[in-house]
Amino acid sequence: MRVLVLFAHPVETSFQAALHATVVERLRRAGHAVDDCDLYAEGFNPVLSREERLHYHDLGVNRRNVAPYVERVLAAEALVLVHPVWNFGLPAILKGFFDRVFLPGVSFRMENGKVKPSLHNITKLTAVVTYGGARWRALGVGDPPRKIVKRVLRAQIKPLAPVDYLAHYDMNRSTDATRSAFLAKVGAAMDRF
Amino acid sequence: MRALVVFAHPVPESFGAALRDTVTETLRASGHEVRLVDLNAIGFNPVMDAEERRRYHDPGVNELPVADQIAHIKWCEMLVFVYPTWWFGLPAILKGWLDRVWVPHVTFLMPTESQGIRPNMQHIRRIAVVTTCGATWWLSKWVGEPGRRTLLRGIRPLCHPLCRTSYMAHYRMDSSTPESRARYLAKVRQKIARL
Repeated sequence: MRVLVLFAHPVETSFQAALHATVVERLRRAGHAVDDCDLYAEGFNPVLSREERLHYHDLGVNRRNVAPYVERVLAAEALVLVHPVWNFGLPAILKGFFDRVFLPGVSFRMENGKVKPSLHNITKLTAVVTYGGARWRALGVGDPPRKIVKRVLRAQIKPLAPVDYLAHYDMNRSTDATRSAFLAKVGAAMDRF
Repeated sequence: MRALVVFAHPVPESFGAALRDTVTETLRASGHEVRLVDLNAIGFNPVMDAEERRRYHDPGVNELPVADQIAHIKWCEMLVFVYPTWWFGLPAILKGWLDRVWVPHVTFLMPTESQGIRPNMQHIRRIAVVTTCGATWWLSKWVGEPGRRTLLRGIRPLCHPLCRTSYMAHYRMDSSTPESRARYLAKVRQKIARL
C-alpha cells in the first residue's frame, strides 16, 4: 500500500521521534511504499492565509499554495498520524495541515450547502498518539484528539475503512517499561498493517 | 474586570472581525478594561520549535519566547476567545497560542507521583467563547465539540475554581443569511454585556 505518514514533533531525540522511526521502518519492512511527511522537518506553515480563506471554496485555485501536499494526500491509500497531544488537541502544525490541505475538492465537496466526504482513496487510518495526562483526565475533557480521528477523519475516508487508535496516556509519569511496551505494540501494528 | 480578547481570523473584513469589534466595544461599554490580541494581525507563530520544546519544562526559561503573551494572561481576569471553528476545532494559529503560551510553572504546576496537575491561573474568573461553525448543532455535539472542550475543559481547570464559562456559536455558517448574522451579533452583544 502507499502509506502517507504525517508526523508532528520538533525534537529528534523525543519518544515521538522513536515512534515515528518505528512506524516508517516497520511499514517499509512489511513492503509498503511510505511517503514520510515530517511536518517540522519540511517547515510546514500551518496558518491559513487571508488569500486562502477568500478562495477556500474556489476549486480552481484553492489548492494552489499547498498543491504538493494535496497530491501526496490524494496519492495515498492509507494514512498514519504520529503526534503528541498538546492541550488536549493536535499540535498546531498538524491542525493547520487539516485547515489548509483538507480542502473542498480534496477531502470533501459541497453539495447544496452540505459537506460530502470524498477522500475515498484512503482505505485505512491509524493514529499513534501520546498524551501527557492520564486517560481519565482526557476522558473528562472528552478526548478531542481521539474524536477527531474516530469521528471526523473516519467520516472523510472510504466508508467502513478500518480505523486504529494507538495511545500512550500519562506520558508525564511514564517509565522505560511503559514506553518500550508501547513501541512494541506500535511496531506490531505496523507489521500487520 | 480586566478582559483579554484573543482573536483569530485571517480576513480583516470577515464576519469574525465584526464579532471581535462587537465583543471589544460591548466589554468597554460595560466598564471593563480591554486588551486585544489579534493573532493573525501580529503574525503570531503557532509552531513550537525544537528549542522551545526542549526547554518547555524549564522554569523562567520556557516563558521567554512568548513573554509578551504571558504578561497578557497574567494581567487578565477574563478571557474571551473569538474565532471560526475549523474542522470542529481551533484554527492552528489559536491552537499554537495555547501550546506556546500556556506553559508549565506559569499556568500550571506539573503532576508528581502523589499529586495531579495543579492550576496556577486562579486570577482568571471568566472564560467566554464566541465562534462560528460550518457544521450543524447536532453534528458538532456528536463530534464532541473539540474546540469548545479544549478551551472550556482543557484551559478552564487551570483558572479559578469557580471560573464561569459561556459559549456562543453561530451554526451552519455556510448557509447563514444577513438576518441570521445580525441576530447572532445581537445575541453576542447581549451575552457579553452580562459578563
